[in-house]
Parts: sequence; C-alpha cells; structure tokens
Amino acid sequence: MAVALNPIQIMKSEAEEERSETARLSSFIGAIAVGDLVRSTLGPRGMDKILVSMGRNEGQIEVTNDGATILRNIGVDNPAAKILVDISKTQDDEVGDGTTSVVVLASELLREAEKLVASRLHPQTIISGFRHATDVARQALTETARDNSSDQAKFRQDLIKIAKTTLSSKILSQHKDFFAELTVDAVLRLHGSANLDAIQIIKKTGGTLRDSFLDEGFILEKKIGVNQPKRIENARILIANTPMDTDKIKVFGSKISVESTAKVAELELAEKEKMKAKVQRILNHDINVFINRQLIYNYPEQLFADAGIMAIEHADFDGIERLALVTGGEITSTFDNPELVKLGKCDLVEEVMIGEDRMIRLGGVALGEACTVVLRGATTHILEEAQRSLHDALCVLTQTVKETRTVYGGGCSETLMARAVMEAAARVPGKEALAMESFARSLLAIPTIISDNAGYDSAQLVSELKAAHAEGKTTTGLNMEEGTVDCMEAVGITESYQVKRQVLLSASEAAEMILRVDDIIKAAPRKRTADQGHC
Amino acid sequence: MNNKIAAQAAKRPSKSEFKDKEKPAQIRGSNIVAAKAVADAIKSSLGPRGMDKMIQDSKGEVTITNDGATILKQMKVLHPAAKMLVELSQAQDAEAGDGTTSVVILAGAMLETSQQLLTKGFHPANISDSLLHFASKAVEVLESMAISVNLSDNASLLKSANTSLSSKVVHEHSGMLAPMAVDAVLKIVDPAQEKNVDLKDIRIIKKLGETVEDSQLIDGIVFTQKTQGYGGPNKMEKAKIGLIQFCISPPKTDMDNTVLIRDYSAMDRVLREERQYILNITKKIKAAGCNVLLIQKSILRDAVSDLALHLLAKQKIMVVKDIEREDIEFVYKTLGCRPIASLDHFTPEALGTAELAEEMQAGSSKLVKITGVQNPGKTVSILLRGSNKQVLEEADRSLHDALCVIRCLVKKRYLIPGGGAPESELSVKLTKFAHSLKGMDAYCFRAFAESLEVIPGILAENAGLNPISTVTELRNRHAQGETHAGINVRKGSISNIIDENVLQPLLVSTSAITLAAECVRSILKIDDIVNVTRL
Repeated sequence: MAVALNPIQIMKSEAEEERSETARLSSFIGAIAVGDLVRSTLGPRGMDKILVSMGRNEGQIEVTNDGATILRNIGVDNPAAKILVDISKTQDDEVGDGTTSVVVLASELLREAEKLVASRLHPQTIISGFRHATDVARQALTETARDNSSDQAKFRQDLIKIAKTTLSSKILSQHKDFFAELTVDAVLRLHGSANLDAIQIIKKTGGTLRDSFLDEGFILEKKIGVNQPKRIENARILIANTPMDTDKIKVFGSKISVESTAKVAELELAEKEKMKAKVQRILNHDINVFINRQLIYNYPEQLFADAGIMAIEHADFDGIERLALVTGGEITSTFDNPELVKLGKCDLVEEVMIGEDRMIRLGGVALGEACTVVLRGATTHILEEAQRSLHDALCVLTQTVKETRTVYGGGCSETLMARAVMEAAARVPGKEALAMESFARSLLAIPTIISDNAGYDSAQLVSELKAAHAEGKTTTGLNMEEGTVDCMEAVGITESYQVKRQVLLSASEAAEMILRVDDIIKAAPRKRTADQGHC
Repeated sequence: MNNKIAAQAAKRPSKSEFKDKEKPAQIRGSNIVAAKAVADAIKSSLGPRGMDKMIQDSKGEVTITNDGATILKQMKVLHPAAKMLVELSQAQDAEAGDGTTSVVILAGAMLETSQQLLTKGFHPANISDSLLHFASKAVEVLESMAISVNLSDNASLLKSANTSLSSKVVHEHSGMLAPMAVDAVLKIVDPAQEKNVDLKDIRIIKKLGETVEDSQLIDGIVFTQKTQGYGGPNKMEKAKIGLIQFCISPPKTDMDNTVLIRDYSAMDRVLREERQYILNITKKIKAAGCNVLLIQKSILRDAVSDLALHLLAKQKIMVVKDIEREDIEFVYKTLGCRPIASLDHFTPEALGTAELAEEMQAGSSKLVKITGVQNPGKTVSILLRGSNKQVLEEADRSLHDALCVIRCLVKKRYLIPGGGAPESELSVKLTKFAHSLKGMDAYCFRAFAESLEVIPGILAENAGLNPISTVTELRNRHAQGETHAGINVRKGSISNIIDENVLQPLLVSTSAITLAAECVRSILKIDDIVNVTRL
C-alpha cells in the first residue's frame, strides 16, 4: 500500500534526468558557452588565453591561442560541451588545424538552431535542412578548390601561402615569412610521407623567435664520452639497447660463494674480461660511433676511447628510435653476428653549441627527410606556444601534400558556401528552407568573428564581402592587415581544402548530434566509501 | 567526514562550463597591473647607486642581492602575467647574463604605455604590431651607435666588466674582479675563431672566510675536498697526477658474493689476501710514477678503503677522493691527463704533470690546489672568498654577470655607452622617426619612444638626482647630436659617458629591447585567464 502511494522511482536516488525542453536548453547553453570561450582566439588578430592550472600543479600557467589546447584543458561538465571539446580534439588529430573554427561553427549552428526550435520547428526538420545545406556547401567548396600539384614551383608557393595563413593567427605571425619557409622546407624534405617523427623540434630558451633555425641534420641532446673524438666524418653508427654497466646473469638470486678474497678478485677480473669481450664484439661491427640507450660505465667508455670510437650513453627511448629511423640503422642488443646488423650512417657527427648547451649533431643522415627545428624564444611559454603553432603548420602542410587541393581563406570560402546555401534554400519548398538559411547565417558568422576580433566594423565588412560575392568576385575575402575587403588571390591567403572540408563536416555532424538529444540522464555518482585508514 | 566531501562534490553546480570568466579588457588591465608591479618592485636596484634587496625564503634563508633575475626568482610571484616577467628576466640572464633588471623595467614601461594606448581605444593587435616594428628599428639605431671592439683590446673589455660590476655590492673590488673576469674568459677562448664561450669551462669555487679581496684566479684547479691524511703527504712538488675511475678496495663482483670461512686459518688467509690485493694495486700505481691520486666517487662500493689509504700514504702518494663523475671532464681537460678506468691502463702516459699540488688552509676547512700544469687545457678556476655567506653568494652572481658581459663581447664584438645614453638616444631618434610614419603606427611609435626614457629617469632617481631635469637635459643634449651623453652617477652630472669609461656590450641592450618587446606583445595578446583542471 505504502509502495503504491510513493512516486514511482526508476533510477537511483542521485541520478539526474533532464527532459525535452530542459535537456535541449542545457545542451544549447553548454555548446554555445564553449564556442564563446574560444571565439576570441579566431583569426589573424585573435587573442590568447592564459590557462592557470588548479589542483595538482597549482599555479602553473600556459599561454595559448590554440583552440584544441584550451578546450583539452578546461574540465567541462556539460555533455554537449564535451561533444564540442571532442570534435576539436578529433580535428587536431586528423588535420591539426582549424580546431577553433570547428567549435565556433558548431556553436553558431546551435545558436541558430535554438532560435528555430523556439519558433516551433521540429529538431528533425532542422537536421534535415542542415544536412541538405552541408551537401550544398561541400559541393560549392569542392568546385572552388584548385589543384596546383602538377606544377612544382606553383605548388611550393601554395604551401608557403598555406603555412603563412595558418601561422598568421599564432604567436609566430610576426615571423611568418621566416617560419613559412622553414616549415615548407621541412615538410618537402619528407617527400610525401606524413611521418612527422622525422622532424624533431628542440626548444631552447634565450634568443628570440627569429633566431630559430632549421638544421638539416639530427640533433641529440647528449654528451660525448670522456676522451673520445668530438668529430667523426663518415660515421658508421651502431645503435644499441644493451647494458654496458655489467653483463649480469639474470637468474634470480644468482650468487657466488668462494673461499678466499683472491677468488673474488679473480671473479672480478673475469667480469671485466667479459665486458672487454663484449666491447670487442661491438668493435667487430666496424663502427666509429656507438650510441647506447643505457648507461656506459667508465671501463667500457675507456675501451671505446682507446679504440677511437665515439660512445654516447643514455640516449632516451624517443631519441634512440628516431635515431634508428633517421640514420637507417637498427636497434641491436646482441652483437654476435656483425654481418647481419644494419648500421646507421651519416656524413658527420660533431659537437655543437646551441644556446648555453653542448649537443651532438648528426649531419647528412641516411634518411634525407630528417631535420631538426631548433626553436629559440624569450620564455618557456613562448617556446611552448611556438612549438604548438609549428606543429599545426606542419600538420596542415603534410595534409596538403597528400590532398593537394587548396581553397581561399579569410572568410572567402565561408561566404561562398553561405551564398550557395542561400541560393539552394530559395529553391527548397517547406520548412527545411528555414534551417538552410540559418545554416548560411552560421557560416557567415566566421568572417564576422574574424573581423570583430581584429577590432573592425564587422557589419560593414561582411556586407561588403557578401556584395562582392554577389557580383561574382568569388575570390574576395577579408584582409585583416588593412581592415578591408580584398581579393584573396592577390593577398595570398590560402587554406587547405582538406581542413576546410573537415571543419564543415565535423561541425555540422556535431550540431546534428546535439540537436537530436532530448533527454540527458546522469548516472548516480559512484559512492565513495569512507577511508578505513588512519585519519 | 569523507562522505560529506563526496556529497559536496556531487552538489557542485553542474551547468557551469567554466569559472571566473571576466571581460577581456579587465583581464588585460589586471595583467598589466600585475606585470607593472613586478617592474616597480625591482626598479630601485637599477644602476650604480641602486639598492639591494633582502629576501627571506620560506625556510628562513636570507639572500641579499642586486641582481634582477635573482630577486624575481626568489619572489615567487603568483599572478600568471607577473610570472611571464620573471621568465623574461631569466631569458635575459641566459642570453646576455647582464641587464636582467633593465629588461623588466623596460617591459614595465612598455606595458604602461600600452595601457594608455588601450584606454585611448587602440586595438591590442595594432599596438603589438607597432611594438615589433619599434623593436627592430631600435636595434638598428643601437647598432649604428655601437663602437667596434677588438678582443685584444684589454682596456675596453675591462671597462665593460667594470660597468657591470659597478652596481653590485662588490663594486669596490671591481678593480680586482674585472681583470679576473676578463682574464678568465680570454684564457678559455681563441678570439680569432670562437663565437661563443662555454662558461662551464670556468669553475667558480666559493669558500667562506677572509674577504672578497682575497679571491684569486687559479691557473690550474682547486678541489674543495681535503687530502686523505693517514700520514700521507699534503704537498707535492713536481706532481704526477693520476685520475682514476676504478676503486681501490677489496674486490667485489657485480653479482652478490659471499666468502665462506670455515675455520680460523681461513679467516687469517682472507685478511692477508685482501691486504696483498690492495698492496698490489698501490704498488702498480707507484710503479707508474704517480704521486698524486684523484679518485672518482663510486656509489656501488667504497671508492677507496681505509686500508688502501694507509698503504697509499706509506708510498707517499697524495690522495683526493670523492670527485664527481660530471667533474671528470673538467678535471682531465685542465690537468691534461687521461681518466683511467682500470688498473691495466694505469701507465705513465696517462698521468698529468704539474709543478705543485698542495693542501691549503681556507678558513675552517681545507682546499687542494694544483698549479703549474704542463700542457694545460682551456679551463680556469676562480676561488672566491667572502666574509659571510650572503656576500659570497652575491660576489658569485656579480662575477657571473661580469663573465657574461665578456662573453657577450666574444659573441658580438661591439660596445655601446652605458649610463642611460643608449636609451636617450633611442628615444630621441625614434621620436624623430615617428614623424615620418602615418596613422596608428606613428602614434604608438612616439609613445613607446618616450617610454624608453624610464631607464635614465630611474637611473637619475636612484642616484639622488632630479629625474625630470636630468632626463630633459639628457634629451636636449642628444637632440643636439651628443650621441654619447649619459648620466655620470659619480659626479651627479651629464657628460660624455665614454670618457667616464662606462661601456657595455651591444648585445645586452639589443637583447633587452627585443626580449622585452616580445614579452609585452604576448601579454597584450591575452584576453582571458581560464582555470583548468589539468595541464
């Protein structure tokens, strides 16, 4: 009887449920808030954020302009916001750039959708309108994309323009000509392989960003052993992962029992002989550089020095794998068959000084693709941010080398797509047309935000932009240096087709996903049991 | 108790995506205020009449210093933007080693100017662009007023070392420390070839006791360890030095070993054999002609046992033990010997030769000094003395600054006048240049040019002069073409600063301007501070 009178409870007591209108409202709010958080970082004059860490690394700070970095670090609680954070991450993994654009576009789409829902349009109708609009926009984008891959010189120009456009919104913007050349050189050395491992980035504080340089070799932050040659030409390198401290017998609890100290001395000698034999076996490989992942003790170090071999100890895992990759050698740990081991090769190994530190430079490595970018900058924050920017640019460029089509940036492509969607909407009967128009407006939000961030009159500029496109000048975009509307071809603002397409598709997919939600269920939090230990 | 915490965690507001979001203008304002506060905190320590700061850390340790980088590092600032200024001074420390106070003051002045510009309605991006332009133009002007210097010109080097030391507590000893710094650097570089100096080749040893005046440049090497006694020699003329990396102690295998003793006679035998074993080693060492033995520290076993010390003392061999593995390179470079990792390698050729190795009394502790090294390497040791710990530490920092100044001159062989002359010159020249510009750039340029006068202003203020009349007179003189007019702090007047021998390396000023500009630009670009959960 008592049970029947109680309200029917299906879920655990602490679980929450939000239904239809409330659920939709909370996802709209969450998504739009995330969009608002990063929108000011968009475009060439976008602003940076300071991230202040709470909790474990209390007080640690990071200065960044990279949407993915900001979103990855803020802890969001709202499920819809989480979806946006995820698409930004995916964008970062897939193409490396456009992490901010994709979130901003998705949140603009939802902002428009909210209005439509308020005017009693069913979410499914909105979704089908958005889908149609996405198709139209994608088609428009594909039609306008150009492909210069057949002409080497022109393609290089394209790449440089893309690098400049990507870098223009980052900390490296003032040195973008310099870094654009640098990244394009680095990427072209890869010859189409997208293996960014071959490009090593070393950060050293001191100097200015301008002092950064591309080294056509591989730099290892290690020291050469005592008394060994500091410079070796035509190096034959053996890369090893082997203990060079003692050749211990790895039997659990192995132990020696002897009856006199002299016997111990003999055994010690025997161990030494063993090490000597091991060094001799290594020497049999006819090498002049030996790089080990583990420590090299004094005794073997001296033996190597006697043999005139450069021995480098303690190269970490990452370093050793890259070394193997770039020098074309193999990581070895047994030395009995010298003829089977693939040695790494390079023209020159030498000690160089960068900033205040000595490092080892391997020049003319077997893998011609490998290179090292040494970044210099005033503070570690600047360096960290510079590395992120450089990484973005490198990602975009490798993508472009694979998918060679390019489109115009500066809000040009967005305006073009918006126009195409508007035209299509005019021909669609029914409520879907409303959704399509909203989609077009969301696309136009991108140039609006770009010019807002730069401190210009966005209403004026965007209307000029629309007018220019209506007149058939489809290469018109925003020139944020001058604060005017300009031909993007002349200004050289180019973006990768791949990135733009990915932004469009991910954003509309995410918006659709969030729109379809009409119920949010939060599971009851796991109960924390009281700590049994001492208090 | 824990349940309560869990309940609180569950009750957290669930719909907020992030906390503490403020308006961009506010954020920018608070950043600028915080950064300026840092600059204000250290401005009284600028210049020859600058004051020192006493800093007490959390452990109660006291540091007294005039060095900007050290003050800031010890201050432990909390605000993210203030942290960036701390990093800035550290970057200057790494790049030039001197001018760590000026760079922060410059950044503070630029920020103040930026704030005025922001209130006038300038967009941060515009200010940032002008600042970059400004910095590059400033470097041009500085280069045009630089005086080329030859490294063989000892007088000029001395002058610049003197200028750097003049602001420190040890300035009364600058007559002694400055030549010491110059000699030390010139000893380790080959002026004709090298463009950089590895300051690690200069070893500064601090020892409490006596006064700073008793510091000395040692042509050889100093160990802070004492000799091992046991009746062995503590002074050795015509020293033959062996540097060993193996151990002189009872044998020990890498595997666990036990010596089984079944009866009394066996025990006797073990002891005898151990003695024999060590005697053998010491005999071999003696046979090679070695009379000074340096022993590397070992963590695995006793580097040298008591018995061994006793036997070595009997053979009249002087012993210094506990030499760190990192120091081995420095030691063998200095002494021209080879580190020896096994007894088989202990040959006369591997030994180094020196005139004298002796133990000295230094205050309450002892030092070992080796001088008159035959075929010495390019290294130098400096023994610093001081009557208390604070003075000693400060003397170390001051000497480091002076060494860095000389290093700057090796890197970039130009001098410019000090005493506020370059800043006044920049201010006058760049204000003039601003007239040739148009638009916002011109406005920002003039404002920044004026902000540079903060350095002579503070210099005058700290020297007890009237800042306004001094700065205006300085401006007047520079406008009349007296490029080298600066503040003569000693006489309290304005005169040609070159005649007063106040000179500093060009690199210090150029890097201060470029680094400060880079830092200010990154602060200007920030529009939000976001609290994040992880970083």
